[in-house]
Amino acid sequence: MRTSGFTALPAIVLGAGLSLGGLAGMAGSACAQEGKLVLYTSQPNTDAQQTIDAFKAKYPKVEVSFVRDGTPRIMAKLRTEIQAGAPQADLLLIADSVTMEGLKAEGRLLAHQGADVSAYAPGTHDAQKFWFSTKLITTGIIYNTKAGFKPESWNDLLRPEAKGNIVMPSPLNSGAALIHAASLTGTLPEGWDFYRKLKANDALAGGANGDVLRQVAGGEKLFGVIVDFLPIREKAKGAPVEFVFPKEGVSAVSEPVAILSTTKNPDAAKAFVDFLLSEEGQTLALKQGYLAAHPKVAVPAGFPARGSIRLMSFDAVKTLKDENAIRKAFSDIFTQ
Amino acid sequence: MIQPFRAQAGVPLLEREGRFVYWLALVFLVAVSALPGLALLRASLAPAGGFDPWHTVTELARPSVVRASWNSLSTSLVSAIISVALGGVAALLVAVTDMRAKRAFAFLFAMSMLVAPQVAALAFKTLLGPASPVLQMIGLAPAAGTPNPMLSYGGIVIVLGLHHAPVVMLTLLAGFKSIPMHLIEAAQVDGARPAHIFRTIVLPLVSGHLAAGAMLAFVAALGNFGIPALLGLPINFLTLPTLIYRQLSSFGPSVIADVAALSVLVAVIAAVAIVASARLLAAAPPPLEAEHTIKPFWQLRNTRPVVEFFAASIILVVLVLPVLSLGMASIVPSYGMRLGIETMTLRAYGEVLIRQDATLEAFRTSFSLAGVAALLLAFVAVPVSFAINRFAKRSRGLLLFLIDLPYALPGIVIAIATILLFLHPLPVLQISLYGTPWIILFAYLSRFLTLAVKPVAATFQHMSPAIEEAAAICGADFFTRLRTIIIPQLLPAMAAGAVLVFLTAFNELTVSALLWSSGTRTLGVVLYGFEEAGLTTEASALGIVTILVVGLLMLAIDRLKPHLPKGVVPWSVDDSVAQSRR
Repeated sequence: MRTSGFTALPAIVLGAGLSLGGLAGMAGSACAQEGKLVLYTSQPNTDAQQTIDAFKAKYPKVEVSFVRDGTPRIMAKLRTEIQAGAPQADLLLIADSVTMEGLKAEGRLLAHQGADVSAYAPGTHDAQKFWFSTKLITTGIIYNTKAGFKPESWNDLLRPEAKGNIVMPSPLNSGAALIHAASLTGTLPEGWDFYRKLKANDALAGGANGDVLRQVAGGEKLFGVIVDFLPIREKAKGAPVEFVFPKEGVSAVSEPVAILSTTKNPDAAKAFVDFLLSEEGQTLALKQGYLAAHPKVAVPAGFPARGSIRLMSFDAVKTLKDENAIRKAFSDIFTQ
Repeated sequence: MIQPFRAQAGVPLLEREGRFVYWLALVFLVAVSALPGLALLRASLAPAGGFDPWHTVTELARPSVVRASWNSLSTSLVSAIISVALGGVAALLVAVTDMRAKRAFAFLFAMSMLVAPQVAALAFKTLLGPASPVLQMIGLAPAAGTPNPMLSYGGIVIVLGLHHAPVVMLTLLAGFKSIPMHLIEAAQVDGARPAHIFRTIVLPLVSGHLAAGAMLAFVAALGNFGIPALLGLPINFLTLPTLIYRQLSSFGPSVIADVAALSVLVAVIAAVAIVASARLLAAAPPPLEAEHTIKPFWQLRNTRPVVEFFAASIILVVLVLPVLSLGMASIVPSYGMRLGIETMTLRAYGEVLIRQDATLEAFRTSFSLAGVAALLLAFVAVPVSFAINRFAKRSRGLLLFLIDLPYALPGIVIAIATILLFLHPLPVLQISLYGTPWIILFAYLSRFLTLAVKPVAATFQHMSPAIEEAAAICGADFFTRLRTIIIPQLLPAMAAGAVLVFLTAFNELTVSALLWSSGTRTLGVVLYGFEEAGLTTEASALGIVTILVVGLLMLAIDRLKPHLPKGVVPWSVDDSVAQSRR
């Protein structure tokens, strides 16, 4: 028995010893050092990684790591870290500017006066340069090609043929979904009753946009509410889905980027913002299948011309104030 | 080191030195078990500082909480019944019949438990539904527009039930080992048939273990996060752990008092189940003294091929089909497409193993956290075993309670308690642990301590004090005895405990889902993130990789088994039980 212990333990001691080294390394990365950046983003993992890789190709000495989650959850994580006195992020690249306005009002953002916004229309960035839109991401309707009809209006989701076959993102998980709820209830004459009718039509609202794509592409549901780039991109890869810009219009978010005032590496963070706003960064967004914010960058395949997309408007000030009330109203309607 | 031996009246020889290890153990236990528990109680009873239990009461009376509580109770109870039925049959096949290939059966069945719950849920999710690659291949996929049947109450209950069935099997196998063979032989001599022997002798003798197994399955299901998260959250079917997760992850620290109240509720339900099962266990017949314990007495004869086919089907359903489905889902170009020779691609593996920094970092994080927790706990187990077996007299019960509590309670409770403890920077030091790997390590040390202590304490208890006393009489001091006598005897058990901690922590999601931060995402968190982001193909690829890692680790430990004390490799079927009677 004694010898057996001596043969078994060294391997474990060695393994765990190596692990301890790794853990100490991880702890070190928690305090930002020169050349390190942490990005909190709601971009899908693959896109975030591509964006970072393109940035690193230009700035090889900056190490960028990222955390991805839906905007409300990224914000919940960040708020917890702020309360614990240790915000980890240097940069935020999240769905909507409403959240950015809230952070700006709390003094959590750092202005980037040197940012070159000459090519952009006013309104796509904060006047005091606290945040900058990088894209235009609209929310419309996705359907599986095996669905019985092509939806053309938001009201088509209330048709009996779609009953039990609709899925949409929840504002608890998605920033775009929050803006969408604010836009839709403000635009459609029946307001929140539209969502109650959707619930009566057995619509499901659980996860985020990725989940909607998965369920409609997989044929578990036939119709969904979703951000544009996911279905347009997957359709190009061969997934059996189509995206529709409904006739009443689509809601839109602008995926703004901002630097947190607590950043320990403001210079690298500013370089990252500059990169996203540069023509190169905007062309990358195009290649990824996004409608870039830069007006001169082309429209990706599968999108209509910029001018032809009809946008539903929403009250940004009111949405910021009612953020949690909207989430609560929504989840009260849809939770089982 | 050698000092002249001096007599000291009243205190047993071995207790005269080394009492400080008792205090070491006590300080450790208070830090990892009592402090988080108190933080949780304080947050739920006095959310704003002053004593105000009404906040908790009103929070728990909300309709969504009542619904989630009901969902939790119902899924746990029904899934526990499934676990008991399936685990009971599996234990029966292994322990009393002359079925062939028992070792392989037990190994594969137990492996289905060591596949992480979130991976198992993902595998079953890809197995059924219109997009199922397996069903599409054999032309049985339901029409588009058919919901995935796994995304439902039934799906959650079935996957939970299958996932926890091995726990019941292992608990029952331990029970079978205490049945004296002579009872069965006596019945055989009287001409009793195997089914009759099983019903009248075996079953009553393992009733206590059956109750214990059912309780373990119930509490495990109650605390499970990965399965209801993947199969319930997309359809808004919430259990208490997923409700807590959704509240905290969407609303942040503003709802910390509410989720503290919810955690206390989960803890209370688990505690009631544990107490109830302890009562049942106390009422069960005491273990009998036996020289020879049970051997397989049920000769299946003609029905053996049928039974073996049935056993193979169990493995097919709990392990082969889900893993196959996961593997196929990981090589389609885009989820929902039909898998064909010309379209299959390893792109997702390239993405998770090479392209994505996050996954590589997650491998490092999970390996480091699980490795460090395993190593530290293996060494902590020594003073803790000293404390409970040698020095603790009246406080023994308290120590055992503090050791078992964090593991007995659902993981989400530990996660919330840990957040509460570290939500504000540490007093005096002004260091914040939140957002660092240390907070997850702390939670792992708390939660998995008992896994490391159990084998070491058991070995310690059975160690003969004679050698140590002889050494003490010869003048060897405490440290000399520790180094030359105690530790060498405990090493195999320490290694076994460390391995158990590693395997459990490596697969873990519940705790890290709430404690991760930039740079400290575990494999479970990254896989769940992929799935939530709609990247089912990538999630499946990562799932396959983790199954391979766990399988390889299990095989490695299986090879180490001859060097380990009996009973520490959780899925091992004792030779005496496994061997068929000739």
